[in-house]
Amino acid sequence: MSETVKQDHAVIGKSVPKIDGREKVTGAARYTADLKFPNMLFGKILTSPFAHARIISIDTSEAEKIPGVRAVITHKDAPTLKYGISPARWDENIFCIDTVKFVGDKVAAVACIDEQTCYKALAAIKVEYEELPAVLDPLHATDEDQPQIHPEFVRNINAEIHQDFGDVEAAFKDAHYVRTDTFVGNRTYQTPIEPHTATSMWDGEKLTVYSSTQSPHYFQYYIAREFGLPMGDVRVLKTYVGGGFGGKLEPTGLEFGGAILAKITGRPVKMFYDRAEMFAHNRGRHRQYMTITSGVDKDGKILGVHADFVMDGGAYTSLGIATAYYAGAMLTLTYEFDNFRFDMLRVYTNLPACGAQRGHGAPQPRYAFEAHLDNIAKDLDIDPMDIRILNARRPNTTTPNEFLVNSCEMKACLEKAREISGWDEKKGNLPKGRGIGVATGSFVSGAGYPIYRTDLPHAAAMIKVGEDGTAATLYTGATDIGQGSDTVLCQMAAEAMGYTYEQMKIVAADTETTPHDFGAYASRQTLMSGAAVKQAGEEVKAQMLEIAAEMLDFPAVDLDIREGKVFSPGNASVTLTFEEVARHFFVNRGPLVGKGSYTPPKLGGKFKGAAVGTSPAYSFAAQVSEVEIDEETGEINVLDVWDVHDCGTVINPALLEAQVHGALFMGLGESIWEEVKFDDKGRILNPNLSEYRIPTAVDMPVVHSALVDSYEPAGPWGVKEVGEGATLPTMGCFRNAIFDAMGVSINSLPLGYEKVWRALKERREEGPAE
Amino acid sequence: MFLPDFDYHAPETLAEACDLVRDLGPSAKVLAGGTDLLIKLKHGLVTPTAVISLKALDELKTITHVPGRGVVIGARATHNDLVNSPLLHERFLSVSEAAHKLANNQVRNRGTVGGNLVNAIPSADLPPILIALDAWITLVGSNTSRTVPLHSFFTGPSCCVIDPVDEILTEIVLPDQQTTGSTYLKFALRRSGALSVTGVAVAVTMDGDTIVDSRICLGAVFPVPVRANDAEDLLRGKTWSDELLAEAGEAASCCALPITDIRGTAEYRLDLVRVLTKRALKRAITEGHV
Amino acid sequence: METIDDTRKTTAGPKPKRYVIDLTVNGDPRTVVVKGNALLVNVLRDELDLTGTKKGCELGDCGSCTVLLDGIPVDACLVLALEADGCDIVTIEGVAAHGELDRLQATFVDKAAVQCGYCTPGMILSAKALLTKNPHPTEPEIRAAIAGNLCRCTGYVNIVKAIAAAAEIETAATESGEAR
Repeated sequence: MSETVKQDHAVIGKSVPKIDGREKVTGAARYTADLKFPNMLFGKILTSPFAHARIISIDTSEAEKIPGVRAVITHKDAPTLKYGISPARWDENIFCIDTVKFVGDKVAAVACIDEQTCYKALAAIKVEYEELPAVLDPLHATDEDQPQIHPEFVRNINAEIHQDFGDVEAAFKDAHYVRTDTFVGNRTYQTPIEPHTATSMWDGEKLTVYSSTQSPHYFQYYIAREFGLPMGDVRVLKTYVGGGFGGKLEPTGLEFGGAILAKITGRPVKMFYDRAEMFAHNRGRHRQYMTITSGVDKDGKILGVHADFVMDGGAYTSLGIATAYYAGAMLTLTYEFDNFRFDMLRVYTNLPACGAQRGHGAPQPRYAFEAHLDNIAKDLDIDPMDIRILNARRPNTTTPNEFLVNSCEMKACLEKAREISGWDEKKGNLPKGRGIGVATGSFVSGAGYPIYRTDLPHAAAMIKVGEDGTAATLYTGATDIGQGSDTVLCQMAAEAMGYTYEQMKIVAADTETTPHDFGAYASRQTLMSGAAVKQAGEEVKAQMLEIAAEMLDFPAVDLDIREGKVFSPGNASVTLTFEEVARHFFVNRGPLVGKGSYTPPKLGGKFKGAAVGTSPAYSFAAQVSEVEIDEETGEINVLDVWDVHDCGTVINPALLEAQVHGALFMGLGESIWEEVKFDDKGRILNPNLSEYRIPTAVDMPVVHSALVDSYEPAGPWGVKEVGEGATLPTMGCFRNAIFDAMGVSINSLPLGYEKVWRALKERREEGPAE
Repeated sequence: MFLPDFDYHAPETLAEACDLVRDLGPSAKVLAGGTDLLIKLKHGLVTPTAVISLKALDELKTITHVPGRGVVIGARATHNDLVNSPLLHERFLSVSEAAHKLANNQVRNRGTVGGNLVNAIPSADLPPILIALDAWITLVGSNTSRTVPLHSFFTGPSCCVIDPVDEILTEIVLPDQQTTGSTYLKFALRRSGALSVTGVAVAVTMDGDTIVDSRICLGAVFPVPVRANDAEDLLRGKTWSDELLAEAGEAASCCALPITDIRGTAEYRLDLVRVLTKRALKRAITEGHV
Repeated sequence: METIDDTRKTTAGPKPKRYVIDLTVNGDPRTVVVKGNALLVNVLRDELDLTGTKKGCELGDCGSCTVLLDGIPVDACLVLALEADGCDIVTIEGVAAHGELDRLQATFVDKAAVQCGYCTPGMILSAKALLTKNPHPTEPEIRAAIAGNLCRCTGYVNIVKAIAAAAEIETAATESGEAR
């Protein structure tokens, strides 16, 4: 887009301070765990100590006798309707009935007068189990002799996907070179610093739940369904949320259990997970086993790709069906090729269930593909940057799996990354132990279809201008979990209305007071919620112009509003303030309200699973990283990272850049350090923040972020996503930098110091190559 | 998470503290900084009915040089007291640096040297450098006081020679010595807030290029911090060279008996001992107490 | 510290002893009755309603509960309330004076160093202690001072920038973005 169009914006495109910044830096911001209600009780869930066991009996009598214990509940007190977030497989009960399926599965819950009593009560509940053999190895989960986890899912197959586009076999036959590589991903966790909390309370037949949620709507929908309540009698809202990253997208035992305990006791009940429980319940990233075969011509042009994956789903489906489809679907975006086959098996194991984490299903396959592509480039003696530029997707193209790509500056991202990282000077010229790598990524700007089937619009918004026009309140169901959507949407509202950001107020993410929106996932809010907000703002503006025209006796078409001033571009003497016009409107016509909603166009093909990965728009990114490897210890020192993004029009440059930093940081952690490990009983060995190592401030390298000019026709003002896209290239980028530095390929995540050490040792022991 | 109920005592004098330790017996735990004890309490690993806080004993907080004894570090000195001690900067910067590698700033502000030693975890960062510098400690009981060389203080993971129902560790003494250099190298999987996979401390006494003597202590590769005697013997009296230090590294890894755990395999740790020993020696030889 | 002698017996055995402690919190004199096992973080949050001090891990790994105890940053989840008897405590609620943001708070907002905000109170208090002791730290000193405060949103980039801006120093982190 041209500079002149950019300059035309009065409010968007500027790094205004976050609307909640002051509250957050002063400690005034209240998160769910900070809320207190009169007469409130505290609740905790009793979980399974076994990966797989039959429940013989549960005796709660001793627990009930403890002073301060107000309620103890089990499956007998709870609805037995199975739930899940993915309607394709509802397979979870609020409390286990016959068997427990992972260490941490929900067995009972208590409500007590304080936290300490909760733990005493949990310890006093006697559960007799008969331990059963457990399925812990996903690669053998489908073997004939393995125990069956869910009777209705034979051989522990949760989902099986076979998609075939074009003719992959023919492409491989025609190819100059065909190569197959296998990679393994890691089970990681979102690890928001705020552990999940939910406080539930009833007023007669109406249930109110304060929750640290990414989506009040999905919580409301599934809670209402579980308890057989009209949606209107379930109010879900959040105050501030301390990060989500995918882990707070689906309702948990805290909401379901809390609702039952609150009903039985007639008191508000605050339920919460501690850090260790967050690992068992937070539905982390699936571990994937990924075999990729590609055929290329002699120049390195990709002709066909076959992705053959197995995914460890854990004990339940969670959002995993979508994850499984995303894993393959998103592989077709950054590079153009016509022939693609995707096979996926998502298996059940007796490990905690996995779900969505930043980049949903796509980052590990992206790592695998980018590593695979570097292997091919090396075999054919092509510069890794060149092979990517050669294959880079162009705008206005369609992927083999029928995703329409409008704006796409993949090539420009790569070229800019090449330039700012000094790729050409560095590649092949770095000192011993240093290397440079490149990788790409692309992500949806909102999912084309909601999680459950419905014709509701994806987003809606309402703007109410105050009676004297000195403030306007945006009502949106969009959910700010830290990414800054409240700020960005207020900027958009002000822009559309011709108002100022500083005068905007916001009420968000409350199913009772704000219009419907699906919430914060799939990087959807800037585009989708933003489109609804823009429409609402424009409706306010149109009403303002109409009444201003009356006030001024001047044609409305010759008037405009900008930054709180009503004016005529052609006549400097014609002017009114926003406040004057808004007040006049209120006095004469009542409340000045604008509303908007957004439904994406019908997207995608007709094949099975065609909906997953569809989006009105896709972001594109290229990353380059430079690393230094300690040859003797395998220690990986990340020196610099460059990220170049095509994310359409930027609403708030500072917040956008902050999203890049955060996404890259998360990718960095998953690349090198983060992994949950289990013992041979299916127990997590490192459910804490000392052994599950997210990077600290001294681990984080210098980040250089840059943008390329881009305008997305499907987005309001040309926007698209950024928050998840920057996680995608990172893992492959680091693997490739290590490959460049030392010539060894680390084929599993996290790349890890010991893995590098071992690869170097094995190479030494094999003797010099050739 | 919660702590079990217990009574709290904050004796005003060391004698009073020792009497309480004796009188309350095994049902009581001594609280210094709390960064280990409170975590054990939260995990239910210990369930005392009384906690004896050393909070009021300011005399255990000082770091001073006592002529004839050496640098005397009070057991209640925090890790950051070591990090920031001008006296240590001047004499044994390596001790300040080792303390700085431990946990994170907030924990270093609470956690104490005495607590770190009595907690006796094999991967602790302070024991190797203190042992390399030939430190000894004082244990005071209600009627007794004894000194113990730190290298014989530890008896196993979470075990040491302190009498838990009678004694309090009061001070650590780094004797005046001939050593010309010392350092502690920690290998961990993150730069902050990570336990060591392997740690190696060395102290050397040089005469020109000749290694008169050395002490090498390995952490996290044996049930207790262990001296690499073979490597020390190999170095004694020799002129240093990279080749010699590499040999010493090999010899040091023969003194380790690591386990495989979540942080690394035994095989990896053995090789890290080799590499870190070689590097630590070179650093201490060429840079002094760092 | 005064002990409340309460010899009443309950069915669960003798009642745990109660202790009276005096704290100065953000300049306010506070007297609180606690049990021996009361943690400072819970006294601040539950008794004094200072919920700006957050709980993220309760094991001293994340720094969300960082407060200044006699000026020194500590994890309030690893301090018994009784250990703080007689001490001066600053929580995030005590950083702004008379409604005016402290310089660090202002730079955190200006530099987009706040996302979800959950680590922010602890982060600001760690930074505050650093700048009090060392008004012009280097970037590595800034990073070391906040290494005990985990943030999952920002990659620390803008946090380092904000602290550097408050200290008026140039850092490598402030160059990020200029490649644009």
